[in-house]
This record gives sequence, structure tokens and C-alpha cells, in this order.
Amino acid sequence: MTTTKALHTEEFLVNMGPHHPSTHGVCRFLLTMDGEVVVKAVPYIGYLHRALEKICENRTYPQCLPILDRFEYCTSMSCEYAFCLATEKLAGIQAPERAEYLRVIMLELNRIASHLIWFGTTSLDLGAITPFLYGFREREDILDLFEMTCGQRLTYNYIRIGGVSRDVPPEFIPKAKEFLDKFPAKIEDYVKLLNENPIWMIRNQNVGILPREMALSYGVSGPVLRASGIKFDIRKDDPYSIYDRFDFNIPTGKVGDCYDRYLLRIEEMRQSSRIVRQALEQLPSGEIKTKVSANFKPPKGEVYSRIENSRGEMGIYIQSPGDSKKPLRVKMRGGSYNHLQVMPEIVKGGKIADLVAVMASMDIIMPEVDR
Amino acid sequence: MDRTELTKYLLDRFSDKLQLLDTGKAEPVFILKAENLLEFCRTIKADDTLAIDFLCNIAAVDTGDLFEIVYSVASTKNRIRFDFKITMPYENAEIDSIQEFWAGANWHEREVWELFGINIRNHGNLTRFLLPDDWNQGFPMRKNWDAPDFVRMPEL
Amino acid sequence: MGLIKEVPIYLEKFPGGGILTTSLDYVLSQSRASSIWYLLFGTACCAIELMATGASRYDFDRLGMIFRASPRQSDLIIAAGTITKKMAPRLRLLYDQMAEPRYVIAMGGCTIKGGPFYYDSYSVEKGIDHIIPVDVYIPGCPPRPESLLEGCLTLQKKVKKQKLADWS
Repeated sequence: MTTTKALHTEEFLVNMGPHHPSTHGVCRFLLTMDGEVVVKAVPYIGYLHRALEKICENRTYPQCLPILDRFEYCTSMSCEYAFCLATEKLAGIQAPERAEYLRVIMLELNRIASHLIWFGTTSLDLGAITPFLYGFREREDILDLFEMTCGQRLTYNYIRIGGVSRDVPPEFIPKAKEFLDKFPAKIEDYVKLLNENPIWMIRNQNVGILPREMALSYGVSGPVLRASGIKFDIRKDDPYSIYDRFDFNIPTGKVGDCYDRYLLRIEEMRQSSRIVRQALEQLPSGEIKTKVSANFKPPKGEVYSRIENSRGEMGIYIQSPGDSKKPLRVKMRGGSYNHLQVMPEIVKGGKIADLVAVMASMDIIMPEVDR
Repeated sequence: MDRTELTKYLLDRFSDKLQLLDTGKAEPVFILKAENLLEFCRTIKADDTLAIDFLCNIAAVDTGDLFEIVYSVASTKNRIRFDFKITMPYENAEIDSIQEFWAGANWHEREVWELFGINIRNHGNLTRFLLPDDWNQGFPMRKNWDAPDFVRMPEL
Repeated sequence: MGLIKEVPIYLEKFPGGGILTTSLDYVLSQSRASSIWYLLFGTACCAIELMATGASRYDFDRLGMIFRASPRQSDLIIAAGTITKKMAPRLRLLYDQMAEPRYVIAMGGCTIKGGPFYYDSYSVEKGIDHIIPVDVYIPGCPPRPESLLEGCLTLQKKVKKQKLADWS
């Protein structure tokens, strides 16, 4: 009968990134590992810090919009809209009805496109390549709609202060309805591929559980907060634009693990399609932009306005000096900033492969963190 | 509660510490004195009518004469949102950390220190994270900052 | 690899050996150009267009290009996205790790001269061609997938013109 002596073990440091296929941008983690188990994870950011806030201080208000486009490029329409909402609150401008409906249509289509990017990259991180191709195929249809309207596929510069820049062409509405008619069947394809898949379930269930109190304390918002059981959506609880005219549900999770977050975003895609369908039916005719003077100078004041982005709460704080065409300070707040801050707490004790799953499911994107 | 009720409640509760900035815009903005910060945060978090459990944003502003730090807070239960700010002069700009109430304040305060140079007491981890590790050119978001390779857009 | 460089020296001694050398040039550079594997490197917005070009509608695989995760296994870096001063040494490190022959495509305005962040930004590296040598520049913000495919075809033309004598 032999006895085994205890093995001498020690912890070691592993550097993950900044260039790594699954770090959603450029983010570096310094991991203290005990074998395969993560003892401590420290994120290092700043590899994409482009000083957007300093740039906005030397641009007039309309000139800030292309810069805001690049703040969170997967949902450019939301970033532009957040800035326009803040500026319109500051100056007391009201956009016309048709413009508000067009804005909602674009925002929700952009939310679907962003969730499709999330779907593709998450599956790619966890080893499944087919959902990446499926997701991007659907996204191309949405980008066709955007290109038809404003000419760009990624950074649109479409939502302007006081309305939108162009009206939709006549073929937009039939093409959008065609997309909405075939999209639910595609979502069913994705669900059939992944929901009951044993590998997907083992890699995602009970991984990266975020407790409710920690979520609120760290300022986590959006789908990640709702997956932890708190039913809070800015579109319903602090409504902006005309969201109170549409009928949609807010899905909530129970456990707060990666699988809940996945199911929640699939359901959000369905709800967004519902909103777009209702908005297309109710679309009135009329003006698309309130006239804003070429020397637009909002009065002195400050405002913080927030919207529900696909990655959480997106907030823009603007302080205006009163007699100038340029803002004094523009601060951008993205959901991923707080999500990355809470990540080290929830990956402690898990395996390194689970860190990849958690980062993918929280849908962290580095330009929101670094600006 | 809507804007007027909220303003009345806060001004009644904290009459000597808060002052309303009359901006007339959607959410009220208050001015708070720096020494009352921790007490104020503790009270608004514990109070049942307010139940402020969500810190949205901490923004630092360089107005040309003073520094201002603007805190935007909200409540997920009671549908409340308001801002409050603290002003301080340029010399020895310091503020307390509020991460004991809302842990998400940690990185926001670290960024305020790194880009503006405002010291945060009791933070515990004031190290560089957005700028390169060997950055030695000062605090870039200040209005009077300049560097040799910093190109300003010309006025058209 | 050394043997293949000796072959032309021996071949040319025979009558008609020169034809065999140029045919060898042609075959080798054709096969090289049809199978350029690129490193999955993207920092900002152009990375999304890079992924979209590699996806269903505009397919990179029909040009023989697939993504590799490690610089040691790739021939091409498509530098997609803004490079900041903090990221620049890492880009140089990635480039140094690639085996020759290696190529660089600068995709998007940010990598050419700083793009929309040229003015008023304190942390953006204004262009990457003083960090690594660039072969093809693709302008745009972000460039359309068709532009990126055109850039890759231009790179293929450049590779096909290379001769055995250039290989070091």
C-alpha cells in the first residue's frame, strides 16, 4: 500500500492579451492561476483610448456626431441618439413625429444587428463557427436597409439634432417587412442549433453567476442586470422618445449565469422585431427634421441623459457654457465599463475557459470602456 | 415621484447642505459641499423614499476657473434620477471616495484622477489605466494642457 | 528552403534552363498568392467590417484567405482599427513574430494617417507606417468589404510579381 506525498504547487502568472482572438477588442488580463483555476484576474485597459472626449471639446455640436458614432460602433445609431437626446433636452428642441418614428425603427434595427454580432462572436469564442456565419448573414440584410437610407454600413451619422438627416426611400418599408417576416424563422434556427446543445449548456449553465446585490452595486445595466433578476429597462422605467406607445415585453432571468444572458438576448431580438413592426405600421407622414440654426448655441446648463443600449445603459453628460458653439465637456458612459469592472469578481474560482465564456456573454466591447 | 416633488423632498431633507441649480431641464441638479459628501451618500442610499441604489456616472469638468465633479445617481425601485455636484479650486483638489456605497465608483474615480489630477482619498488603487504606462506629460483633460505632438483642429 | 534557391543556378547551365526557372517563379508565386493566411487582428470599427468580409456574403475563403490566431502561423496582418500609443509596441511585437515573407495591409483611415482622430487626440498614433512597413493602403472609414477585397487582390498582384531572387 503506497501513500502519495502532497505535491508542491505554486501559483503562476498568465498574460492574456492584448491581442487575443477572444478579447472582443484589445483588453489584457493578468491572471494568477493555480493550475487551471483562476485565483485573481486583473484587467488592463487603455489600448483603445482615443481621447474622444477631448476631441468633442473642440468640435461644434453637429460635428461631434461622427465622433460619437465611433464611441460604440456596433450600435452607432444609439450613440448618436443619446447625444441628440441630451442636446435637445438642453436646448428645448422637439423633433417631429415622423422623425421620432424613424429614430425608433433605426434604433431597434440596430439593436438586432448588435445582438447578431454578439451571437456570432460569442459562438466563435466558444468554438462554434456556424452561428457566426448565420448571424452575419442576417445582419447583412439589416445593413442593406441602413445603406438604402443613409449610405453607410457601419458608422451612419444619420440621427441629427432635431430629427434625422434623410427620409427613407419608398422601397424601405416593403423590404423591412420582408426582413421581419423571415426573421423569426431564422431565430428558431439559432435556437434549434444551440439551446439544447449539450456542449453549449455545459459551457454556459452555472458559469459566471452574478448575484443581484453585486450587480446593482457595480452599476451593471442592460441585459446583464435583467439576467440577474432585476426587471429594469430604461425604455419602460424612464421612457424617452415614443417608446410608451409600443407594446413589448421585458424578459428577465433567474440565475444570472451565462445561459440566462444568452436566452435573454435571443428573446430581446424577438421583442425588437415586434417594436419595429408596430412602428412601421404607425409611421406618419410629415417633416423629418426641425430646423436648427447653423450657429447652434444651446443655453447655459448641463444635462445627463441615458438610453437603453444593447449593452446596457448609455449615458451622455454635456455641459454647455452658453454662448459657444462647442460644448465645454462631453462625458460618455457605456455599459461595458461597469461590466468589465465586475468581471474579476465573478471569474474568481472558475477555470480559464470560463473566463472566455463570461467575457463573451457579458458582451463587453472595448471602445465603450476606453473611449 | 416627479421632478418638483423630488426637488422639494431633497431640499427639505438636506436644507443646509444642498442648493438647487436652476437649469430648468429635465432632472434637477444640486450643489453639495465637499465635506458633506459621505454623509449625503449614506443618507440617500438608506432612505426609503429615495432608495438610491444605482450610480450612473461620475464626470469631472474643468470649467476654466474651477474643477467640478458631477455625480449622477438613480433608483431602480422608485424611478428617480438626479445629479449633484461638488466644486473645488485647482490647488490641492481632493475628494473622498464613495466606493463603500456603490462599488462601481472605483474605476470612475480612478479615471478622474488619471485624466484631471484630482486626488481621491481612501481609494486604494490610484494607478494608471487608460494612458500608456510611461506617460509623463501631465493630466491631459485639463484645459491648459498641451504637448508637442498635440494638433488642434484649425478654425474654419 | 536553401535547396530551391540553388536550383536556378544549376538549371540555367542547361539549354532552355531559363524557361524552367521563370516557370518555377510563376508557379511558386501563384501558389503563394492564392493562400495568404491573415492574422485575426482588429482593434476598432474596421474590425467589424473585416469580420463581415470574412463572413457569409463577401467571403474571404474564396481567395484562399483564412484567419489564424497566432502571428507565427500567418502571412499577413490586416491592421484594422485605430492604433494608440499604448498599442503600438504590441503591434510591432506581433509583426516581428511573423515569419517571412510577411505583408501588411493598412485598412481604414486611422492606420493611414490617424483618420478622424488626427486633430485633438492625445493618444492616437497617427498612422502605422512608421511602426511597420505597409504594402497596401485601403482608405475609407470604414472601407466597404468590396474595398477590402480589392485591397487583397492588389496584394495578390504584388505577391505574384515577386521573383525567386527576392526571397532572402
